[in-house]
Amino acid sequence: MTTILSAQALSVARSGQQVLRDVSFDIEQGEVHALLGGNGAGKSTTLLTFLGFLSPASGSAQVQGREACDNIAAARQAIAYLPESASLYGHLNAYENLRYFLSLAKAEAHQPALDTALERVALQADAREMRMQTYSKGMRQKVAIALAILREAPILLLDEPTSGLDPAAIDEFNRLVRDLAENGRTILLVTHDVYGACHVADRIHLLHKGELVGTFDRPAGMNRIDTEAVHAAFATHSSA
Amino acid sequence: MMSGLLSIARAEWQFWLRSRLAVGALLIFALLLVATSLVTALRMSNAQHERAHQQTAAEETFLSQPDRHPHRMVHYGHYVFRIPPPLSIIDPGVDSVTGQSMFLEGHRQNTAMFADARASAELGGFETLTAALAYQLFLPLLLIAIGHGLIIREREENTLAPLLAHGVTGIQLYFAKWMALAGASLAMLLPLAVMCAYAFFQDSAPLASAGVIGIYALYLLVWCSLILLVSSVVRSRSLSLGILALVWLSAALIVPRIAVESASSAVPAPGKLETDYNMQAELREVGDGHDAGTPRFLQLQADLLAEYDATRLEDLPVNFRGVVAQVAEADLTEVMNRHADARMALEADQARIAASFGWLSPVVAVSAGSRALAGTDLATHHQFLRKAEAVRFDFVQGLNRVHTEQLAYSDDINRSTDAEAERRARMSADNWNVLDQFVFKPDAGGERLARAYQPFAMLIAWLLVLSAIGIRIARRVQP
Repeated sequence: MTTILSAQALSVARSGQQVLRDVSFDIEQGEVHALLGGNGAGKSTTLLTFLGFLSPASGSAQVQGREACDNIAAARQAIAYLPESASLYGHLNAYENLRYFLSLAKAEAHQPALDTALERVALQADAREMRMQTYSKGMRQKVAIALAILREAPILLLDEPTSGLDPAAIDEFNRLVRDLAENGRTILLVTHDVYGACHVADRIHLLHKGELVGTFDRPAGMNRIDTEAVHAAFATHSSA
Repeated sequence: MMSGLLSIARAEWQFWLRSRLAVGALLIFALLLVATSLVTALRMSNAQHERAHQQTAAEETFLSQPDRHPHRMVHYGHYVFRIPPPLSIIDPGVDSVTGQSMFLEGHRQNTAMFADARASAELGGFETLTAALAYQLFLPLLLIAIGHGLIIREREENTLAPLLAHGVTGIQLYFAKWMALAGASLAMLLPLAVMCAYAFFQDSAPLASAGVIGIYALYLLVWCSLILLVSSVVRSRSLSLGILALVWLSAALIVPRIAVESASSAVPAPGKLETDYNMQAELREVGDGHDAGTPRFLQLQADLLAEYDATRLEDLPVNFRGVVAQVAEADLTEVMNRHADARMALEADQARIAASFGWLSPVVAVSAGSRALAGTDLATHHQFLRKAEAVRFDFVQGLNRVHTEQLAYSDDINRSTDAEAERRARMSADNWNVLDQFVFKPDAGGERLARAYQPFAMLIAWLLVLSAIGIRIARRVQP
């Protein structure tokens, strides 16, 4: 197996405050990992560090074996990033948004591929040519997920990807993530949703106040991580 | 890389075209530009034809005067008009504050006069809203309105992180946004380009016409850089708008006012009464050319009699009164020119000091450059005054020569008592041809361009400094 993402003794400070402390984990190709934790746990900071937006105060954050902050362009080329709030342009429609971002990433944007991706995220056909300022949060999130798929990047960093989605869409999304992983994509997602994380991830890293306080693996032969155990650990740290 | 930049710029244009506020502002400003351009062009074009017609009429009137005593023609005088150059349809410059016509006569240099207001509406000051002013003052406001959120909007709407995550660097983003705003501002130069093309076909001064387009393009690019810089630094659109409004206020209104006040304080100009009083005192010492009996001219009389070995003025081959008129005119003119040169030097110094404030305000720089290139600046007005004075001196001395050489002294002194002498004292109207045709044209395009080098240098410096700071900040753009 090839290590695609690697955090080793990673510490990051933002505005003079330590937000990640000595965090270490590796993600192999085709794996889905979830970062779980409350607000301010350092989940989004971890993603931003892999994207090269933040530099480690100590330790390392590597993408495909190279230090992200020293190889920013290469890291961003390899990563499709879905930010916390689906950040797309309201004055453009779904197709225009997809074409715009794909052109920036120098990726192909053929119409059939766009339609296929939008169908995979179940965005209604009649909404695709409407400006996104008329979309609900869930619809915007679907387009953002479609964009991440279309990038065809080997790594997906997803920040709260199911936020705003209805239960059916969440199930569909989870299936999509597993499908992408089986096709060799490496996925690191950030979530508050214990249940969803247990269903979709191969491994969960529990973060609390910038520290890695627990790791939970999917047992061999099982289709999900033990939700009860993760819940218990999450609740313990949340009340601490 | 270029396609990525164009994609971002295109998305920005789409944003403006799909925003009612931006489209409304664009339409209003486009209308304002077209309207002011059209009104200024019509007004100045009308002034060109009117003054050209008046110039011809004045010359015809002078030349059609009947036979008469030449000194009466000296006082009959002549009018000269400053015909606005073709590029004045963009920037009338000092035209409305320096006067556009002069009455030329013997023994005095009159100040330039103003044309009558053609309509009472002009008394309200609306005629000062020119195309140049619309470009210098109002177009930056439009750019601020549509551009103040260029970068900050990406941050506020959380699209900055995805943009950067898609491989766009801070500098690429900065440059693409600059291209978007620059493209919009350069599109607004279309009415100006049309007027420059029209002016080019009027006087074939391609360098000046190109220079006008160049300096306004440079000026707008400075504003684009300034707007983008503020939009990159601040953390909210409202703050960006507030800061840019303050920058506009100081650049467009406060600094130009300070520039004028500083120039007046640094180079104090005496009032007209004081200047005229001092000059009149000197002129009195020169003597009155109408009175050949003043002590100064008695010496001239003695010298002439000695030169021609004559005992009476009637025996001289020249008319002594004409000689006195010639000498007095030359001496008076020397004094008047000295005072005029001093006044013009002082005005030029004040203008130079005021223009140096272009280092602090691009509005001051572009207005100085625009006037110089259009041929409507103070230097051109001074050239008009000098040329008018040269014409005045030539025709007055030409008439004095007729007085000296063709009119007998005895007829001259007896014409009020002797009807026959009075008849002979009337010189043929053919002599009025001493009047040169007055044609005033501003400097050639190359010279005007050379005169605008400092405003160009100022705007280039503004652009370079703002770009350098902008690039430095763009390198560190983070979501």
